[in-house]
Amino acid sequence: MMHGPIADRNDQSNAAPSNSLVAAFERVLAFCNRMILILAALALIAACLVLTDSVVGRALFQSPNYWQDEMAVFLLVGVTFMTSAYVQDRRGHIGIEAFTGLLPPAVNRIRLWLIDVASLLFCTFFAWKSWTLTYEAWSDGQVSDSMWAPPLDIPYSLMAAGMTLLCVQMLLQVIIPLSGATRR
Amino acid sequence: MTVFGIGVSYAAATLFVMFSGMPIAFALGAVAVVFMGIYMPAASLDTVTQNVYEEMSSITLLAIPLFILKGAAIGKSRAGQDLYTALHAWLHRVPGGLGIANVFACALFAAMAGSSPATCSAIGSAGIPEMRKRGYSGGFAAGIIAAGGTLGILLPPSITMILFAVAAEKSLGRLFLAGIGPALLLVFLFGSYAVVRFRKEYAAAKAVFDKTGETSQILKRDDFSFAERFQVLPRVLPFVILLTGVMVALYGGYATPSETAGLGGLLALLLIALIYGVWRPSELAPILTSTIRESTMLMMIIGMSLLYSYVMSYLHISQSAAESIVAMNLPRWELLAAILVLVVVLGFFLPPVSIILMTAPIILPPLRAAHFDIIWFGVVMTIVMEMGLIHPPVGLNLFVIRNVAPDISLSEVIWGTLPFVLLMMLAVLLLCFVPEISTWLPNLVLGPDGSR
Repeated sequence: MMHGPIADRNDQSNAAPSNSLVAAFERVLAFCNRMILILAALALIAACLVLTDSVVGRALFQSPNYWQDEMAVFLLVGVTFMTSAYVQDRRGHIGIEAFTGLLPPAVNRIRLWLIDVASLLFCTFFAWKSWTLTYEAWSDGQVSDSMWAPPLDIPYSLMAAGMTLLCVQMLLQVIIPLSGATRR
Repeated sequence: MTVFGIGVSYAAATLFVMFSGMPIAFALGAVAVVFMGIYMPAASLDTVTQNVYEEMSSITLLAIPLFILKGAAIGKSRAGQDLYTALHAWLHRVPGGLGIANVFACALFAAMAGSSPATCSAIGSAGIPEMRKRGYSGGFAAGIIAAGGTLGILLPPSITMILFAVAAEKSLGRLFLAGIGPALLLVFLFGSYAVVRFRKEYAAAKAVFDKTGETSQILKRDDFSFAERFQVLPRVLPFVILLTGVMVALYGGYATPSETAGLGGLLALLLIALIYGVWRPSELAPILTSTIRESTMLMMIIGMSLLYSYVMSYLHISQSAAESIVAMNLPRWELLAAILVLVVVLGFFLPPVSIILMTAPIILPPLRAAHFDIIWFGVVMTIVMEMGLIHPPVGLNLFVIRNVAPDISLSEVIWGTLPFVLLMMLAVLLLCFVPEISTWLPNLVLGPDGSR
């Protein structure tokens, strides 16, 4: 396959942020991510069921499938965007760390912080444009170009909500080093 | 600015943010958005998210999370060990049979799990200790597993191939079939090498025994009765049925590749529930969590890579680059060699998914112009990228092996793997001289490829 995800970082032990406000913020976000993770796991299984239904329905009952593919797309797009904050929390979005060992630790800390800020800026832009896209789709009543014709604001809003959550997650990761705790 | 200037600055900016250590997905997205802002009409920035959504909402691409789910379900169960035990019981009489059993186990497991690192860790954790117990050298044992694991991206359902099919607008079913012949060729080459190397190590141990009377584990033979051989079969059969069932559904025309992914994911979950009793939410959680981690990471990279290549093509960078390569009028094979070297170099830094999506718009037009079969090229490119998994500096499989067998030193692993890298190069050469190894099966099953 491919260069898989880096090893779990669950085991890293960090001192809790000294600031109680930041700590509360972190707890709320962790709870959100946990709930979303459960829903996402169910959505994955649901996508499998939907696609299986499509095969079985066609093979046994000759029933044409017109909604299954799109339903699976919505579920999987939702899973991808909604869980990206969780993956970011675990630092699961991989980058190339080939030359970073050469830097002195202090410079490296600044580099890591700047990366987080740059990622946050990009994701904020993306989240903002996703919301405008969602709003347009909703106000114009846009539907998908298929026989089933589901409203497009459903997947768009999942994308927008997921990217927003990702921004919040990154914001937290940008704030934590400022509040004096170790980067996570 | 000229297209050339824009192209060079696009590449430079990409290299800079990538090597800064920024996550690949956000780095690609950020570069694309900045260049959109500078060089494209302002309105295009409003459609960034729509672009990403439309590119990603392809049902073929979205089969990837489901294939990962299937792989995680199989990979985290005891299936790997069972498969390995069974093959060992059946192949132990062949000289070097243990090595061959490991190669076969890797190939079969890779075909079910579709993941190279997962294969290495599942078969390696059972196979490496067993081979070393039988006196195989550490490097040899590690090499077999590291190389065997790479078969995962050549055998269906390979995620790398899904992306290639999408990027090259080729039939995924045909590409999957085209990978089978070369995969069998590699299995044959790896297996033969295992036999040769076993004989050498056996002869060396025998010489020591004749001289000093010091015996070695490699000289011992073990026996499995027929009852024992049949006892291990039932645990493996369901997985072989899953594998063939999915293939029949796909090639019998009952299911599209993405439906196959859904069906495969569901069947894998059912099988581990029935055979290994893995069904409680607490047991399923690690499987689903690791699936989500890997697939979200990948899908974000894929989505942003697509945005990246959209910008590259809007600004005519990819077209001009492709045109200038065509205008160089390189001889056919030199063009191919140059492109493969590029792929190898990129493989030092980037995962195969990004390599395919970022380079396809540039390298495919010249290859088409030089009358290369694109399906065939997809297979060759896949083998070359597989090599990146087992040689430094990235060599992900090497590190997985280090995890399952920490007592083998990294240099031993690397030297043990090197012969397999050479065998893969040999396979690429063979494929160049005899392309039918790859194209025969798809032409037989699906008829000749009309679209070049």
